[in-house]
Amino acid sequence: MSAIRELMLHYQQKQNPALIAFIMALLPDEDLCLDCIKALEQGGCDILELGVPFTDPLADGEIIERFHHRGTRQGLNLKRGLEFAHRVKNSCNMPIILFSYYNPLYRMGPDKFMQEAKAAGIEGLIVPDLPLDEMHVLDGYGIEAIPMLAPSSTDERVQMAAERQAAFIYCVSVRGVTGKRSLPEQEIKDYLQKVRIAARTPLALGFGISGPQPVETFRDYTDAVVVGSYLARIIEEYEDCPRLLPEQIEKAFLKLGEAREGKYGSI
Amino acid sequence: MDPEFQAELDYYLKNYVGRESPLYLCERLSRELGVRIYLKREDLNHTGSHKINNTLGQALLAQKMGKERLIAETGAGQHGVATATAAAVLGMKCTVYMGARDMQRQRLNVFRMQMLGAEVKEVSKGSQTLKDATNEAFRDFIQSFEYSHMLIGSVVGPHPYPMIVRDFQSVIGREVKEQFKNLEGRLPSHILACVGGGSNSMGIFYPFLDEPVELIGVEAGGRGINPGEHCATLGHGDDGILHGAFSRLLQDENGQILDTHSISAGLDYPGVGPEHAYLRENGRVTYVHVSDEETIEAFLKLSEYEGIIPALESAHAVAYALKMAPDLSAGSSLVINLSGRGDKDAEEVYRYLEKRQEVL
Repeated sequence: MSAIRELMLHYQQKQNPALIAFIMALLPDEDLCLDCIKALEQGGCDILELGVPFTDPLADGEIIERFHHRGTRQGLNLKRGLEFAHRVKNSCNMPIILFSYYNPLYRMGPDKFMQEAKAAGIEGLIVPDLPLDEMHVLDGYGIEAIPMLAPSSTDERVQMAAERQAAFIYCVSVRGVTGKRSLPEQEIKDYLQKVRIAARTPLALGFGISGPQPVETFRDYTDAVVVGSYLARIIEEYEDCPRLLPEQIEKAFLKLGEAREGKYGSI
Repeated sequence: MDPEFQAELDYYLKNYVGRESPLYLCERLSRELGVRIYLKREDLNHTGSHKINNTLGQALLAQKMGKERLIAETGAGQHGVATATAAAVLGMKCTVYMGARDMQRQRLNVFRMQMLGAEVKEVSKGSQTLKDATNEAFRDFIQSFEYSHMLIGSVVGPHPYPMIVRDFQSVIGREVKEQFKNLEGRLPSHILACVGGGSNSMGIFYPFLDEPVELIGVEAGGRGINPGEHCATLGHGDDGILHGAFSRLLQDENGQILDTHSISAGLDYPGVGPEHAYLRENGRVTYVHVSDEETIEAFLKLSEYEGIIPALESAHAVAYALKMAPDLSAGSSLVINLSGRGDKDAEEVYRYLEKRQEVL
């Protein structure tokens, strides 16, 4: 069983959700990014979602898109992302999920890519523009391919995601791209419960988790929360003071840790 | 097929757009080139291009689906204007996304859209052209699909858009077939059309796919074949996935999408309709490209010889016709899809000529 699957099953049993952090690989620069990742682990992050910059990141909102474009302007690509993942693997204990749009992966050749990803120590994969119907191209390599659902997903799509028996299902909490404001609380809860009834798979809630408050709000409804734009904002705010940045990230994640235990509002 | 819908669309195409559009024999040009050159005058449609065929069709479709708002991406602004127009006549809201660079070089169309009541949103990210405008339009659509329809302007994007747009644009080819038969009692020997995303070309080619007619798609060769200097996707691209379709793409060896260049904002797109990629692969359609310079020459020549100022996009097809004419047998009859009129490009051409003057 993969470490991701094991972790998610563990958190499914627990009341508190796992913390998953999305960070763009190699930015602001390679060493600082690695320091940020170590800080995430120190702050209690359970799983790392490592993004690969792409020229046309359709699923991403303004903040993450800025990181994509910074990356592509520096010539970053999937190959560099894989090398970096390998380095991260040797520097921390969090399981790594690689996030990449499909074209770079297609261009490398799915077969070659999956083998290299495996060799780099990557355990999971999120490809936001690969529809559920096509996800089978990622199967059979011993890497967890993570299906995504949205509040607008039909029962049929929910069923399709459930049938994959993935390590977890990534439930997008917004109608829209990353970093957008969430739907009304009750609507998200209803949606998570709908998926919960259809699938025994652990669930992760992402897009629009803008800080400790939503983590606390949804802690009883999901098995993990994914934090991306919130982290990206911290990086943008503190990247000019590279010595302060890791510390800020660690602090922020410790707060998220309190929130997932239901202790945030009470402070 | 829904006959009521078809009747409504036909009504608008006839009385609002002004269809059918003429098939015009260019007498002076034909005499000089020694072959018969016909223009399918899509430039005479209301709003000045073929784009209105599709926008009216999709806007009516959107209304049937209960949508109240249209979202569009635009390069040269022709599709944006055509969408804003359809929204106005049908009483719908409209938001158009346009690259900052394109807004600058197509100011007139920006103002036209605003007058038609559309909100024009500037996209100053990435390449600041059609590709990033399309990204933004998709992002809007993901959030607003419950009450909005994304009105894609070309035969690109996820299924079923390439087919929807093709079907609405096929009216061009159907008319040509009928008109040409009435004029010459046969089929044309060649049909030429420019290809960016590929909607006007698909529209004129589609009804001829099973006929013995040579079909030629003309891409924008820009300033040369180096990456970033052109948008000849079919000529120089590779297989890839963008905007929900598997087609040919201009990309680097790592699968990053390349910047493109064309003198015509409407062709400035690194992808192409998947059906064009298919027609290229099975060899049914020949795809070629001409440079900015050849396009400008054709633009000027058509204006001087026939009193018709073509859109820079369409001038690409004219340019290739001029290029191939000397090698054709005397009985050849060429149909060029004159997909749009050139008023919007006057400034751009002026700038180009001014720059060329400086170089000389």
